[in-house]
Amino acid sequence: MSFLDIRDLTVVYTNGRETVHALNDFSLRLERGKTLGLVGETGAGKTTAALSIMRLLPERTGRVLGGSVTFDGADLRSLKEEEMRVVRGGKISMIFQDPMTSLNPVLTVGEQIFETLELHNIENRSHQQLWERVDEMLALVGIPPERKKDYPHQFSGGMKQRVVIAIALACSPQLLIADEPTTALDVTIQAQVLAMMDELKQKLDMSMIMITHDLGIVAQTCDDVAVVYAGEIIESGSFEDFFMQDKRRHPYTRGLFGSIPNIDSRERRLTPIEGLMPDPTNLPEGCRFHPRCPDCTERCRTERPTAHERGGHVIRCHLFEKEGE
Amino acid sequence: MWKYVLRRLLVMIPIIFLVIFIVFFIMNITPGDPVQMILGNDPPQQAVEDLRRELGLDQPFFVRFFNYIKNALKLDFGLSYRSRRPVFEGIWPKFPTTLLLAVLTVTVSTVLGVILGIISAVKEYSAVDVTLTFTSLIFASVPGFWLCLMLIIVFSLKLHLLPSSGVGSIRHFILPVLASAIPSAAYLARITRTQMLEVMRQEYIRTARAKGATEKRVIFKHALKNALMPIITIAGTSFAAALGGSMITERIFGLPGIGNYILTSVQAKDVPVVMGSTIFLSVIFMVMMLLVDLAYAYINPTLRSRFSRK
Ligand SMILES: Nc1ncnc2c1ncn2[C@@H]1O[C@H](COP(=O)(O)OP(=O)(O)O)[C@@H](O)[C@H]1O
Ligand code: SF4
Ligand SMILES: [Mg+2]
Repeated sequence: MSFLDIRDLTVVYTNGRETVHALNDFSLRLERGKTLGLVGETGAGKTTAALSIMRLLPERTGRVLGGSVTFDGADLRSLKEEEMRVVRGGKISMIFQDPMTSLNPVLTVGEQIFETLELHNIENRSHQQLWERVDEMLALVGIPPERKKDYPHQFSGGMKQRVVIAIALACSPQLLIADEPTTALDVTIQAQVLAMMDELKQKLDMSMIMITHDLGIVAQTCDDVAVVYAGEIIESGSFEDFFMQDKRRHPYTRGLFGSIPNIDSRERRLTPIEGLMPDPTNLPEGCRFHPRCPDCTERCRTERPTAHERGGHVIRCHLFEKEGE
Repeated sequence: MWKYVLRRLLVMIPIIFLVIFIVFFIMNITPGDPVQMILGNDPPQQAVEDLRRELGLDQPFFVRFFNYIKNALKLDFGLSYRSRRPVFEGIWPKFPTTLLLAVLTVTVSTVLGVILGIISAVKEYSAVDVTLTFTSLIFASVPGFWLCLMLIIVFSLKLHLLPSSGVGSIRHFILPVLASAIPSAAYLARITRTQMLEVMRQEYIRTARAKGATEKRVIFKHALKNALMPIITIAGTSFAAALGGSMITERIFGLPGIGNYILTSVQAKDVPVVMGSTIFLSVIFMVMMLLVDLAYAYINPTLRSRFSRK
């Protein structure tokens, strides 16, 4: 079994009478020490997947209907809340999209890093030792340790995201989930923060899920790639499967990569594909992608395709049914 | 920071002048003649004229106003028409009662309001929340005097548990404090609930949970501290207002506080006392508001650093 193994995860949000089908039989695997790029348009379900792993879905609206999440051999869905708290911030950390809002405005950045350390202080280190570790973490992300006494509003966006990263990495987690960590930052800062994350990842020997809609980031940082569409993984495989060959390709991914002749191209953003993502409260029958698919057949309208694998490269599309035999 | 305080103190001066003018003017146009109040019915003509001259009432409005300001600047606020003693000799002894009532009221209402507000927010849409929200809506909107009377009827007249008036012991303060604290607790509970719900939606709350913080820690350390920011201002303002003495409460429960004193002085047309107490209360109110703002700036890091940079 993989280090992180998500199988057939199904998640809905219920707001009043509406039901949003955010994840539908979502399956994903990640090996120790690897970085997985989770790619998809806004609303595809990327954040929902991350929150489901952490069990941080909005309490009243979000609900997991089925599936399993296994992390390092443990079934996360069946853990007690206090066992889950040991995992959160200790073994799995998460970085949220917007650094402007993800720090508490009334606590100093030092206090916020310290808190994580204190919550997961398994070795019973003294406060002084923990504060030394705070300094270490700040230095690690390139912030002068003296600034631990400052409040979040005294930092720029890029610096805030560094603080967020310091919080996430403070307890040396085995898995880091970064939800569009650089989307809110401007381009020059983006590159710095990404380079730093990559370096820290190597240094600390973590696994990472890099959620993004920027194929450039995927190309730079990821070992594996998974593409989300309407709450399901429609294609997943290695970096080579995605960037080195283009024969085997889900029609949606083909569209995404349409404008990218090679990795060095400047146009690395997802290219918009004609049509819109389906309404998650009312998903289409059959293949979720069929209303936008250039290769759509009669069968696609009624029958939902299953995942077809070849050498670790998985595609959920009827076109690839026969080749495995 | 000191510049800011100085500026705020300077702004108070014109405000106090305005207050003096307005009260002076109102006391001037309302019916009732202080001389008649002092001398009773049918006094000899000569006595009336002597007293009018002595009190300066024979002079035109603006001259009297100007004289008042001139004396006030020398901290001479005149003699009470009734007692013929300096105004502040009458005001000071009333202050402790009002102060005690204000401190108790604000403490009770803030503690009660914040706790109930947190419960409501944490248990959003539960039966507890709905009940609390409904009850606080009612108590925030009932008239003050009605609540006073209901408390007296229930706890003094029917149950004979508590005295309905007077100041003998701390027990005498229970009903007045409840009467003043309940409506503002209800108001504060509603504000706290809204604030908490707003804060709990913020991303940094999710960050706190993602760190592995317990729900208790998330609520009390991360959410409450943020939600309390506006509540500090509200509680501070209501304390400043309570220092002005709640006239209705003090009157109904027979508490010899400033509010009650002003009421009787207004009825007796004791202009110097009314003027003196009004000035006293406006200064206290403005100083309190300044302290509240400073406290808020001290607690709120965003404002604090802006201050210290100045
Ligand atoms: N709290 C919520 N309540 C209702 N619907 C939600 C909520 N959060 C997300 N959704 C919906 O679930 C779908 C997936 O959202 P999300 O996981 O945030 O996508 P992504 O991160 O890929 O942009 C979207 O259609 C979004 O509108
Ligand atoms: S299953 Fe059919 S509609 Fe769906 S992607 Fe494949 S070809 Fe297109
Ligand atoms: Mg998202």
